[in-house]
Amino acid sequence: MTGHGTSLEVVVGAGGVGKTTLAAAMGLRSAASGLDTLVMTFDPSHRLKDALAVGDAARDREVEVDSGTPGRLDASLLDPRRTFDRLVERHSPSTAVRDRILGNRFYDHLAGNLAGVLEYMAVERLFEVARDGRYERVILDTPPTRQALDFLGAPERIVSFLDSGALRVALKPWFDAGGRLRATSRLGVLGRNVEGLLDRMVGLELLRDMAEFFQAFGPLYEGFRERALEVQRLLRSPETSFTLVSAPGRRRVADTLFFARKLLEAGLDLGLVVVNRVHPMVSEAGPEPQRADPGAQDGRHLLAWLGRRDREGVDELRALLGARHPLVDLPLLLEEPTSLEALDALGRMLEERVTNRRS
Amino acid sequence: MAAPLEALDRVNLLVVTGKGGVGKSAVTAALGRLLAARGRATLLVEADPRENLHQLLDVDPSGGDLVSVAPGLSLQHVHSRALLDDLVRDKLKVGLLVNRVLQSPIHQHFTEGAPGLKETAVFGHILRLLQGHGLRAAPRPDVVVLDAPATGHGVQWMMAPRLVADVVSSGPVGHMATEIAALLADRRRCGVVVVTLAEEMPVEETIDLLDLFESRLDLEPELVVVNALYPPLPTSLADDDPVTGLWRHRRRINERELERLEVRWRGPRVELPLLPIDPGPPLVGALGRHLELGLRRS
Repeated sequence: MTGHGTSLEVVVGAGGVGKTTLAAAMGLRSAASGLDTLVMTFDPSHRLKDALAVGDAARDREVEVDSGTPGRLDASLLDPRRTFDRLVERHSPSTAVRDRILGNRFYDHLAGNLAGVLEYMAVERLFEVARDGRYERVILDTPPTRQALDFLGAPERIVSFLDSGALRVALKPWFDAGGRLRATSRLGVLGRNVEGLLDRMVGLELLRDMAEFFQAFGPLYEGFRERALEVQRLLRSPETSFTLVSAPGRRRVADTLFFARKLLEAGLDLGLVVVNRVHPMVSEAGPEPQRADPGAQDGRHLLAWLGRRDREGVDELRALLGARHPLVDLPLLLEEPTSLEALDALGRMLEERVTNRRS
Repeated sequence: MAAPLEALDRVNLLVVTGKGGVGKSAVTAALGRLLAARGRATLLVEADPRENLHQLLDVDPSGGDLVSVAPGLSLQHVHSRALLDDLVRDKLKVGLLVNRVLQSPIHQHFTEGAPGLKETAVFGHILRLLQGHGLRAAPRPDVVVLDAPATGHGVQWMMAPRLVADVVSSGPVGHMATEIAALLADRRRCGVVVVTLAEEMPVEETIDLLDLFESRLDLEPELVVVNALYPPLPTSLADDDPVTGLWRHRRRINERELERLEVRWRGPRVELPLLPIDPGPPLVGALGRHLELGLRRS
């Protein structure tokens, strides 16, 4: 499907579990193995941006990381709004149509607010770079949605939106030349009620913007629809694999299982499950000199408790996932890795744990 | 600035915001416990798609109904989509047509796409409760604590009613949005609590959030809660076995990030410890005690 042997790794999971850092580490190791690699991240911390040396220049385009690896490593920051703008530009039949859409007030809202637009644009970008064939491997860090389900469902939702009767109806001229709302006769009483309701709910002015937007967007539907279908296929192709990242602790097990099930139900290939930032197992009794110190003992007790909590979570998840889905855990590090060296070390550790698990 | 505890005693609406994974729900529950213990009839409203608060408080899931937790404390989980449909039923009197309108794809897509409408529906529900119109069976709450969804920024929630009020100038929805916008802008009646962790990304996001609150809404939170801090190391703890080393490093990250937060936020701040207690009423109780102590100190 990608046509050029590009393999895709999509890193998914809830917000705050360390997806971005792991994606960067995986990218670095991929480049170290000789593959030309692109890491697309969504919202890295300032320090991770510094580590990869990707500032605003990398917004919506690829910037080479000075990684010194045999394979090239590029990084790019996702900017859904710019991706959307570019799609509109590409698919618009004329500059007049393009300007009408980009200048529409509802487009402004839609580009940032409609459920799934953000997620869809991430997949769109993935598709763009996968197709141009410059990279042998692309690693995509996904937006931090709680269940990341929005991300998986995004292409389907766009297709169903484009296929729905809503658009055909929305395409009808709702407003006459004077900008006044028409009663859509085909809808009869229902139509008038819907309009009246929307007027009272949404406001006539915004409604007019929306109707105008849908009309201006008309010529673009088919192109968008086709791409959404291709994106759907891309996510299901054998070259695409998903890495699911989870926070430790028993409370997270249900979330992670739920998400794993959704991935499988959607026909997607769940590769690796990574439980990140696991506290080490610790004995309650510390070294001799600490035992008399109540403060030290409290801290020790807390760390022992955290270690047990995380271990139970990992064990439970491993048992429930079964043998088909490899699970590896990564320890909580002393510092978040924000240098290339630290990212490389994290990537190596991940590789080692995957290998050990398989052997 | 007024003492934060007085501010919390005064408001009718507290909006708790924060990203996923920072312990926002536990803090919401602890705040609710604290306010109820101070004699105010308190209602916790949860608007995240997934119910969570009932587990922390060990009561049955709400499923949209009002659940009593303790004297003076109750809980309700709401679906913004359902509240929006209620609004339609409420505003569209032609009964026969209601279902067809609700099922109409135009209605679905336009109201889904219309900015701020779903958030406004949630606030509208809260406003009705505060005005005593919502629940016949239950007494009117003195204060509603809203556990806002973790997705997106809290700013989006707080801006929504004003956005709707701007585009819908007339009609019942427009009036309602205007009234809510006024409530949210009134510091005597409404306050915001931001929950975060003293880690790099959460603090960056919190600083962004504070900037957006200020620039877009001219709003300052009543309180920033920094959750799940590793305890300070006793000064006597000299030897660095691996466990102490991890503890020392994680605490150092906490302190570094607290300093970074302090550069941006000098207002009321409460620090809550990372506790070796499973999620549930004992954890909520312990957090509530730390919260009260912290509020008295700040």
